Amino acid sequence: MEEYHVIDLIPGYALGILDDPEKEVVEDHLATCGLCRSDFISYQIVVDELPSAIRISRPPDKLKIGIMERIRVDRHPIKEGKPSSIWEKFKHLFSTNTPVWGAVSLAVIILLVFSNVLLWQRMGQLSSDQHELTSFGLQGTDFTPDAVGMLVLSSDGDYGVLIVDGLPNLTEGQQYQLWLIEDGERTSGGVFSVNEDGYGSIVVTSVQPLIKYGAVGITIEPSGGSPGPTGEKVLGAELLY
Amino acid sequence: MDYKTLDDQSLMDMINNKDELAIGELYDRYSRLVYSMALNSVGEPAMAEEITQDVYLRVWKNAGSYRSERGKVATWMVSITRNRAIDEIRRGRVRPESHQVPWEYDEYDHWDRSINIEESIETTERRQLVRTVIAQLPEEQRQALALAYFQGYTHSEIAEILGEPLGTVKTRIRLAMMKLKQQLEPDS
Repeated sequence: MEEYHVIDLIPGYALGILDDPEKEVVEDHLATCGLCRSDFISYQIVVDELPSAIRISRPPDKLKIGIMERIRVDRHPIKEGKPSSIWEKFKHLFSTNTPVWGAVSLAVIILLVFSNVLLWQRMGQLSSDQHELTSFGLQGTDFTPDAVGMLVLSSDGDYGVLIVDGLPNLTEGQQYQLWLIEDGERTSGGVFSVNEDGYGSIVVTSVQPLIKYGAVGITIEPSGGSPGPTGEKVLGAELLY
Repeated sequence: MDYKTLDDQSLMDMINNKDELAIGELYDRYSRLVYSMALNSVGEPAMAEEITQDVYLRVWKNAGSYRSERGKVATWMVSITRNRAIDEIRRGRVRPESHQVPWEYDEYDHWDRSINIEESIETTERRQLVRTVIAQLPEEQRQALALAYFQGYTHSEIAEILGEPLGTVKTRIRLAMMKLKQQLEPDS
Protein backbone atom coordinates (compact mmCIF):
# COMPACT_ATOMS: atom_id res chain seq x y z
CA MET A 1 0.00 0.00 0.00
CA GLU A 2 1.34 3.44 -0.90
CA GLU A 3 2.34 5.88 1.86
CA TYR A 4 -0.46 8.24 0.80
CA HIS A 5 -3.15 5.66 1.51
CA VAL A 6 -1.67 4.71 4.86
CA ILE A 7 -1.82 8.34 6.00
CA ASP A 8 -5.47 8.47 4.97
CA LEU A 9 -6.23 5.51 7.23
CA ILE A 10 -4.84 7.07 10.41
CA PRO A 11 -8.12 8.83 11.39
CA GLY A 12 -9.98 5.53 11.02
CA TYR A 13 -7.29 3.77 13.01
CA ALA A 14 -7.67 6.30 15.82
CA LEU A 15 -11.42 5.59 15.81
CA GLY A 16 -10.74 1.85 15.91
CA ILE A 17 -12.82 1.14 12.84
CA LEU A 18 -10.33 -0.30 10.38
CA ASP A 19 -10.69 -3.82 9.04
CA ASP A 20 -7.91 -6.15 10.22
CA PRO A 21 -5.74 -6.04 7.04
CA GLU A 22 -5.73 -2.22 6.98
CA LYS A 23 -5.14 -2.10 10.72
CA GLU A 24 -2.04 -4.25 10.37
CA VAL A 25 -0.67 -2.06 7.59
CA VAL A 26 -1.15 1.10 9.69
CA GLU A 27 0.41 -0.49 12.77
CA ASP A 28 3.45 -1.62 10.78
CA HIS A 29 3.81 1.88 9.34
CA LEU A 30 3.42 3.67 12.68
CA ALA A 31 6.18 1.50 14.10
CA THR A 32 8.64 3.14 11.69
CA CYS A 33 7.28 6.64 11.00
CA GLY A 34 7.56 9.28 13.72
CA LEU A 35 5.59 11.89 11.76
CA CYS A 36 2.64 9.60 11.36
CA ARG A 37 2.82 8.58 15.02
CA SER A 38 2.53 12.26 15.91
CA ASP A 39 -0.42 12.55 13.54
CA PHE A 40 -2.04 9.52 15.16
CA ILE A 41 -1.66 11.07 18.62
CA SER A 42 -3.39 14.22 17.36
CA TYR A 43 -6.29 12.15 16.05
CA GLN A 44 -6.47 10.24 19.32
CA ILE A 45 -6.94 13.57 21.08
CA VAL A 46 -9.78 14.33 18.68
CA VAL A 47 -11.44 11.00 19.52
CA ASP A 48 -11.00 11.69 23.24
CA GLU A 49 -12.78 15.03 22.82
CA LEU A 50 -15.77 13.73 20.85
CA PRO A 51 -17.74 13.06 24.06
CA SER A 52 -18.02 16.84 24.40
CA ALA A 53 -20.65 16.65 21.69
CA ILE A 54 -22.63 13.76 23.13
CA ARG A 55 -26.32 14.32 23.72
CA ILE A 56 -26.56 14.15 27.50
CA SER A 57 -29.26 12.12 29.25
CA ARG A 58 -29.78 11.72 32.96
CA PRO A 59 -29.66 8.13 34.21
CA PRO A 60 -32.51 6.89 36.44
CA ASP A 61 -31.95 7.41 40.18
CA LYS A 62 -32.24 3.67 40.84
CA LEU A 63 -29.13 3.05 38.77
CA LYS A 64 -26.79 4.32 41.47
CA ILE A 65 -28.57 2.21 44.06
CA GLY A 66 -28.07 -0.89 41.92
CA ILE A 67 -24.41 -0.15 41.31
CA MET A 68 -23.62 0.49 44.97
CA GLU A 69 -25.42 -2.72 45.90
CA ARG A 70 -23.36 -4.73 43.43
CA ILE A 71 -20.20 -3.15 44.84
CA ARG A 72 -21.22 -4.04 48.39
CA VAL A 73 -21.89 -7.63 47.29
CA ASP A 74 -18.47 -7.67 45.65
CA ARG A 75 -16.86 -6.51 48.90
CA HIS A 76 -18.88 -8.83 51.12
CA PRO A 77 -19.75 -11.88 49.01
CA ILE A 78 -21.11 -14.05 51.85
CA LYS A 79 -24.40 -12.74 53.20
CA GLU A 80 -26.41 -14.76 55.78
CA GLY A 81 -24.63 -17.95 54.84
CA LYS A 82 -25.75 -17.79 51.20
CA PRO A 83 -22.83 -17.92 48.74
CA SER A 84 -22.95 -15.43 45.89
CA SER A 85 -20.00 -16.65 43.80
CA ILE A 86 -19.65 -20.04 42.19
CA TRP A 87 -16.63 -20.86 44.35
CA GLU A 88 -18.60 -20.00 47.48
CA LYS A 89 -21.46 -22.16 46.20
CA PHE A 90 -19.18 -25.17 45.86
CA LYS A 91 -17.48 -24.46 49.22
CA HIS A 92 -20.91 -24.20 50.81
CA LEU A 93 -21.59 -27.79 49.87
CA PHE A 94 -18.91 -28.83 52.38
CA SER A 95 -20.38 -26.87 55.28
CA THR A 96 -21.39 -28.84 58.38
CA ASN A 97 -25.05 -28.04 57.80
CA THR A 98 -25.06 -29.45 54.26
CA PRO A 99 -26.70 -32.82 53.63
CA VAL A 100 -24.32 -35.66 52.80
CA TRP A 101 -25.56 -35.76 49.21
CA GLY A 102 -24.22 -32.22 48.64
CA ALA A 103 -20.66 -33.20 49.52
CA VAL A 104 -20.92 -36.45 47.57
CA SER A 105 -22.19 -34.62 44.49
CA LEU A 106 -19.32 -32.16 44.66
CA ALA A 107 -16.87 -35.03 44.99
CA VAL A 108 -18.37 -36.62 41.87
CA ILE A 109 -17.97 -33.36 39.95
CA ILE A 110 -14.37 -32.88 41.02
CA LEU A 111 -13.67 -36.48 40.08
CA LEU A 112 -15.26 -35.93 36.67
CA VAL A 113 -13.18 -32.82 36.00
CA PHE A 114 -10.02 -34.56 37.21
CA SER A 115 -10.77 -37.64 35.13
CA ASN A 116 -11.19 -35.44 32.06
CA VAL A 117 -7.81 -33.83 32.73
CA LEU A 118 -6.31 -37.31 33.14
CA LEU A 119 -7.97 -38.31 29.86
CA TRP A 120 -6.33 -35.39 28.09
CA GLN A 121 -3.00 -36.39 29.58
CA ARG A 122 -3.43 -40.05 28.56
CA MET A 123 -4.17 -38.91 25.04
CA GLY A 124 -0.77 -37.22 25.17
CA GLN A 125 -2.24 -33.98 24.01
CA LEU A 126 -1.29 -31.88 27.01
CA SER A 127 2.27 -30.65 26.79
CA SER A 128 4.14 -29.10 29.68
CA ASP A 129 3.06 -25.69 28.37
CA GLN A 130 -0.60 -26.63 28.51
CA HIS A 131 -0.96 -27.62 32.15
CA GLU A 132 -2.51 -24.29 33.08
CA LEU A 133 -6.29 -24.24 33.08
CA THR A 134 -8.53 -21.20 32.89
CA SER A 135 -11.97 -21.22 34.49
CA PHE A 136 -14.98 -18.98 33.97
CA GLY A 137 -18.00 -18.76 36.22
CA LEU A 138 -21.44 -18.87 34.59
CA GLN A 139 -24.29 -16.96 36.20
CA GLY A 140 -27.97 -17.83 36.22
CA THR A 141 -30.67 -15.72 34.59
CA ASP A 142 -33.98 -14.40 35.90
CA PHE A 143 -35.46 -17.72 34.71
CA THR A 144 -32.95 -19.77 36.76
CA PRO A 145 -31.48 -17.41 39.38
CA ASP A 146 -30.01 -20.21 41.50
CA ALA A 147 -28.16 -21.92 38.68
CA VAL A 148 -24.39 -21.71 38.48
CA GLY A 149 -21.81 -23.17 36.15
CA MET A 150 -18.12 -23.34 35.46
CA LEU A 151 -16.29 -23.65 32.19
CA VAL A 152 -12.73 -24.92 32.46
CA LEU A 153 -10.48 -24.51 29.43
CA SER A 154 -6.98 -25.66 28.66
CA SER A 155 -4.66 -22.72 28.05
CA ASP A 156 -4.57 -23.33 24.29
CA GLY A 157 -8.34 -23.58 24.20
CA ASP A 158 -8.40 -26.95 22.50
CA TYR A 159 -10.24 -28.64 25.38
CA GLY A 160 -12.94 -27.63 27.80
CA VAL A 161 -15.22 -29.04 30.46
CA LEU A 162 -18.53 -27.53 31.51
CA ILE A 163 -19.97 -28.17 34.97
CA VAL A 164 -23.38 -26.91 36.06
CA ASP A 165 -25.35 -26.92 39.27
CA GLY A 166 -28.84 -25.87 40.26
CA LEU A 167 -30.55 -26.36 36.91
CA PRO A 168 -34.09 -27.72 36.91
CA ASN A 169 -34.83 -31.17 35.56
CA LEU A 170 -36.36 -30.89 32.11
CA THR A 171 -39.32 -32.72 30.65
CA GLU A 172 -38.81 -35.69 28.38
CA GLY A 173 -37.82 -34.47 24.96
CA GLN A 174 -35.73 -31.55 26.24
CA GLN A 175 -32.05 -31.05 26.95
CA TYR A 176 -29.70 -28.19 27.76
CA GLN A 177 -27.49 -26.92 24.98
CA LEU A 178 -24.24 -24.95 25.32
CA TRP A 179 -23.64 -22.12 22.86
CA LEU A 180 -20.22 -20.71 22.04
CA ILE A 181 -20.59 -17.07 20.99
CA GLU A 182 -18.28 -15.03 18.72
CA ASP A 183 -19.25 -11.72 17.12
CA GLY A 184 -22.92 -12.48 17.55
CA GLU A 185 -22.66 -15.92 15.95
CA ARG A 186 -23.68 -18.93 18.05
CA THR A 187 -22.08 -22.36 17.64
CA SER A 188 -23.21 -25.42 19.54
CA GLY A 189 -20.74 -26.66 22.15
CA GLY A 190 -22.75 -29.75 23.03
CA VAL A 191 -25.97 -30.92 24.65
CA PHE A 192 -26.45 -32.44 28.09
CA SER A 193 -28.91 -33.33 30.79
CA VAL A 194 -28.69 -32.86 34.55
CA ASN A 195 -29.29 -35.37 37.33
CA GLU A 196 -32.07 -35.12 39.86
CA ASP A 197 -29.95 -32.72 41.91
CA GLY A 198 -29.44 -30.33 39.03
CA TYR A 199 -25.79 -31.25 38.38
CA GLY A 200 -24.44 -31.94 34.93
CA SER A 201 -21.20 -31.83 32.98
CA ILE A 202 -19.94 -32.27 29.45
CA VAL A 203 -16.67 -32.15 27.58
CA VAL A 204 -16.94 -29.12 25.29
CA THR A 205 -16.03 -29.51 21.66
CA SER A 206 -15.60 -26.95 18.89
CA VAL A 207 -14.21 -26.68 15.36
CA GLN A 208 -11.92 -23.86 16.54
CA PRO A 209 -10.04 -23.24 19.79
CA LEU A 210 -12.43 -22.37 22.59
CA ILE A 211 -10.41 -19.30 23.50
CA LYS A 212 -11.64 -17.72 20.24
CA TYR A 213 -15.10 -17.26 21.72
CA GLY A 214 -16.05 -14.17 23.68
CA ALA A 215 -19.05 -15.52 25.54
CA VAL A 216 -21.08 -18.66 26.27
CA GLY A 217 -24.72 -19.31 26.98
CA ILE A 218 -26.90 -22.31 27.82
CA THR A 219 -30.51 -22.66 26.67
CA ILE A 220 -33.29 -25.23 26.85
CA GLU A 221 -33.70 -27.05 23.54
CA PRO A 222 -35.35 -30.16 22.10
CA SER A 223 -33.45 -33.39 22.82
CA GLY A 224 -30.42 -33.68 20.60
CA GLY A 225 -30.08 -29.93 20.25
CA SER A 226 -31.05 -27.26 17.74
CA PRO A 227 -29.19 -25.46 14.97
CA GLY A 228 -29.64 -22.24 16.92
CA PRO A 229 -30.98 -21.12 20.31
CA THR A 230 -34.74 -21.40 20.52
CA GLY A 231 -35.52 -21.82 24.20
CA GLU A 232 -35.09 -20.05 27.49
CA LYS A 233 -31.59 -18.99 28.48
CA VAL A 234 -30.51 -20.44 31.83
CA LEU A 235 -26.81 -19.63 32.21
CA GLY A 236 -24.29 -17.35 30.57
CA ALA A 237 -20.91 -15.69 30.88
CA GLU A 238 -18.48 -13.44 29.09
CA LEU A 239 -15.09 -15.04 28.54
CA LEU A 240 -12.75 -12.27 29.56
CA TYR A 241 -9.06 -13.11 29.32
CA MET B 1 -13.74 14.00 54.57
CA ASP B 2 -15.51 15.87 51.77
CA TYR B 3 -15.08 13.65 48.74
CA LYS B 4 -16.35 16.42 46.49
CA THR B 5 -13.12 18.36 46.99
CA LEU B 6 -10.88 15.48 45.95
CA ASP B 7 -9.38 15.40 42.46
CA ASP B 8 -9.98 12.44 40.20
CA GLN B 9 -6.59 10.82 40.82
CA SER B 10 -7.15 10.89 44.58
CA LEU B 11 -10.57 9.33 44.08
CA MET B 12 -9.06 6.57 41.95
CA ASP B 13 -6.43 5.85 44.60
CA MET B 14 -9.16 5.52 47.20
CA ILE B 15 -11.27 3.31 44.95
CA ASN B 16 -8.23 1.11 44.48
CA ASN B 17 -8.24 0.79 48.27
CA LYS B 18 -11.92 -0.25 48.08
CA ASP B 19 -13.44 2.96 49.42
CA GLU B 20 -17.15 2.74 48.59
CA LEU B 21 -17.77 6.44 49.15
CA ALA B 22 -15.09 7.24 46.58
CA ILE B 23 -16.78 5.17 43.86
CA GLY B 24 -20.04 6.83 44.86
CA GLU B 25 -18.49 10.25 44.28
CA LEU B 26 -17.09 9.07 40.95
CA TYR B 27 -20.60 8.02 40.01
CA ASP B 28 -21.96 11.44 40.90
CA ARG B 29 -19.28 13.07 38.73
CA TYR B 30 -19.44 11.02 35.57
CA SER B 31 -22.56 8.87 35.51
CA ARG B 32 -24.35 11.22 33.12
CA LEU B 33 -21.43 11.04 30.71
CA VAL B 34 -21.09 7.26 30.93
CA TYR B 35 -24.83 6.62 30.66
CA SER B 36 -25.21 9.08 27.79
CA MET B 37 -22.32 7.52 25.89
CA ALA B 38 -23.89 4.10 26.35
CA LEU B 39 -27.38 5.31 25.41
CA ASN B 40 -26.18 7.13 22.30
CA SER B 41 -24.38 3.96 21.23
CA VAL B 42 -26.96 1.25 21.86
CA GLY B 43 -30.15 3.31 21.74
CA GLU B 44 -31.90 1.31 24.49
CA PRO B 45 -32.19 2.72 28.04
CA ALA B 46 -32.23 -0.72 29.70
CA MET B 47 -29.07 -1.79 27.91
CA ALA B 48 -27.46 1.57 28.63
CA GLU B 49 -28.17 1.06 32.33
CA GLU B 50 -26.63 -2.41 32.20
CA ILE B 51 -23.54 -1.07 30.47
CA THR B 52 -23.21 1.76 32.98
CA GLN B 53 -23.39 -0.73 35.84
CA ASP B 54 -20.71 -2.88 34.21
CA VAL B 55 -18.46 0.12 33.60
CA TYR B 56 -18.56 1.23 37.22
CA LEU B 57 -18.03 -2.32 38.42
CA ARG B 58 -14.99 -2.57 36.16
CA VAL B 59 -13.67 0.72 37.51
CA TRP B 60 -14.22 -0.60 41.03
CA LYS B 61 -12.32 -3.80 40.29
CA ASN B 62 -9.59 -2.31 38.09
CA ALA B 63 -8.97 1.18 39.50
CA GLY B 64 -5.33 0.21 39.92
CA SER B 65 -4.96 -0.12 36.14
CA TYR B 66 -5.78 3.56 35.51
CA ARG B 67 -2.74 5.59 34.47
CA SER B 68 -3.06 9.39 34.57
CA GLU B 69 -0.30 9.83 31.98
CA ARG B 70 -2.56 8.17 29.42
CA GLY B 71 -5.44 10.61 29.92
CA LYS B 72 -8.15 11.86 32.24
CA VAL B 73 -10.37 9.59 34.28
CA ALA B 74 -13.42 10.71 32.29
CA THR B 75 -11.66 9.83 29.02
CA TRP B 76 -10.73 6.42 30.40
CA MET B 77 -14.28 5.72 31.49
CA VAL B 78 -15.73 6.82 28.16
CA SER B 79 -13.32 4.50 26.40
CA ILE B 80 -14.44 1.56 28.56
CA THR B 81 -18.08 2.48 27.93
CA ARG B 82 -17.61 2.78 24.19
CA ASN B 83 -15.84 -0.56 23.95
CA ARG B 84 -18.50 -2.23 26.09
CA ALA B 85 -21.31 -0.78 23.98
CA ILE B 86 -19.66 -1.81 20.74
CA ASP B 87 -19.27 -5.34 22.12
CA GLU B 88 -23.03 -5.49 22.70
CA ILE B 89 -23.71 -4.23 19.20
CA ARG B 90 -21.32 -6.79 17.69
CA ARG B 91 -22.95 -9.60 19.69
CA GLY B 92 -26.29 -8.65 18.22
CA ARG B 93 -27.90 -7.95 21.62
CA VAL B 94 -28.99 -4.52 20.36
CA ARG B 95 -29.69 -3.10 16.94
CA PRO B 96 -29.25 0.68 17.27
CA GLU B 97 -31.09 2.98 14.91
CA SER B 98 -28.40 3.29 12.29
CA HIS B 99 -29.52 6.61 10.88
CA GLN B 100 -29.86 8.49 14.14
CA VAL B 101 -27.16 11.15 14.51
CA PRO B 102 -26.84 11.72 18.27
CA TRP B 103 -24.56 14.77 18.24
CA GLU B 104 -25.46 17.73 20.42
CA TYR B 105 -24.97 21.20 18.98
CA ASP B 106 -26.66 23.37 21.58
CA GLU B 107 -24.94 25.19 24.38
CA TYR B 108 -22.66 22.90 26.31
CA ASP B 109 -24.44 20.97 29.06
CA HIS B 110 -22.27 20.24 32.10
CA TRP B 111 -22.02 16.52 32.69
CA ASP B 112 -19.39 16.79 35.39
CA ARG B 113 -18.52 18.82 38.45
CA SER B 114 -15.03 20.24 38.17
CA ILE B 115 -13.44 21.31 41.41
CA ASN B 116 -11.17 23.86 39.70
CA ILE B 117 -12.97 26.99 38.48
CA GLU B 118 -10.28 28.03 35.99
CA GLU B 119 -10.07 24.55 34.55
CA SER B 120 -13.84 24.46 34.37
CA ILE B 121 -14.04 27.62 32.23
CA GLU B 122 -11.32 26.46 29.86
CA THR B 123 -12.86 23.02 29.63
CA THR B 124 -16.29 24.48 28.90
CA GLU B 125 -14.91 26.62 26.08
CA ARG B 126 -13.07 23.65 24.60
CA ARG B 127 -16.14 21.45 24.69
CA GLN B 128 -18.26 24.15 23.10
CA LEU B 129 -15.67 24.41 20.34
CA VAL B 130 -16.01 20.68 19.62
CA ARG B 131 -19.79 21.06 19.36
CA THR B 132 -19.46 24.04 17.05
CA VAL B 133 -17.04 22.26 14.74
CA ILE B 134 -19.24 19.18 14.51
CA ALA B 135 -22.31 21.34 13.88
CA GLN B 136 -20.48 22.95 10.95
CA LEU B 137 -19.62 19.62 9.30
CA PRO B 138 -21.73 18.53 6.31
CA GLU B 139 -24.60 16.28 7.36
CA GLU B 140 -23.18 13.25 5.58
CA GLN B 141 -19.85 13.62 7.40
CA ARG B 142 -21.60 13.92 10.78
CA GLN B 143 -23.65 10.82 10.05
CA ALA B 144 -20.65 8.72 9.00
CA LEU B 145 -18.65 9.91 11.99
CA ALA B 146 -21.52 9.08 14.36
CA LEU B 147 -21.80 5.52 12.99
CA ALA B 148 -18.05 5.10 13.41
CA TYR B 149 -17.76 6.64 16.86
CA PHE B 150 -20.95 5.57 18.62
CA GLN B 151 -21.50 2.16 17.05
CA GLY B 152 -17.91 1.29 16.12
CA TYR B 153 -18.88 0.24 12.60
CA THR B 154 -15.99 -0.25 10.17
CA HIS B 155 -15.70 1.68 6.92
CA SER B 156 -17.15 -1.21 4.95
CA GLU B 157 -20.04 -1.69 7.40
CA ILE B 158 -20.92 2.01 7.23
CA ALA B 159 -20.80 1.89 3.43
CA GLU B 160 -23.26 -1.00 3.49
CA ILE B 161 -25.57 0.71 6.00
CA LEU B 162 -25.68 3.96 4.06
CA GLY B 163 -25.65 2.35 0.63
CA GLU B 164 -22.62 4.43 -0.33
CA PRO B 165 -19.33 3.48 -2.01
CA LEU B 166 -16.56 2.44 0.38
CA GLY B 167 -14.24 5.18 -0.86
CA THR B 168 -16.91 7.82 -0.24
CA VAL B 169 -17.35 6.72 3.36
CA LYS B 170 -13.61 6.67 4.01
CA THR B 171 -13.31 10.18 2.59
CA ARG B 172 -16.20 11.54 4.68
CA ILE B 173 -14.79 10.21 7.93
CA ARG B 174 -11.29 11.34 7.08
CA LEU B 175 -12.44 14.86 6.19
CA ALA B 176 -14.55 15.13 9.35
CA MET B 177 -11.65 14.07 11.54
CA MET B 178 -9.23 16.35 9.71
CA LYS B 179 -11.53 19.32 10.27
CA LEU B 180 -11.79 18.54 13.96
CA LYS B 181 -8.03 18.10 14.26
CA GLN B 182 -7.37 21.42 12.53
CA GLN B 183 -9.80 23.34 14.73
CA LEU B 184 -8.73 21.72 17.99
CA GLU B 185 -4.98 22.03 17.54
CA PRO B 186 -3.46 24.64 19.87
CA ASP B 187 -2.30 26.99 17.12
CA SER B 188 -5.54 26.90 15.14
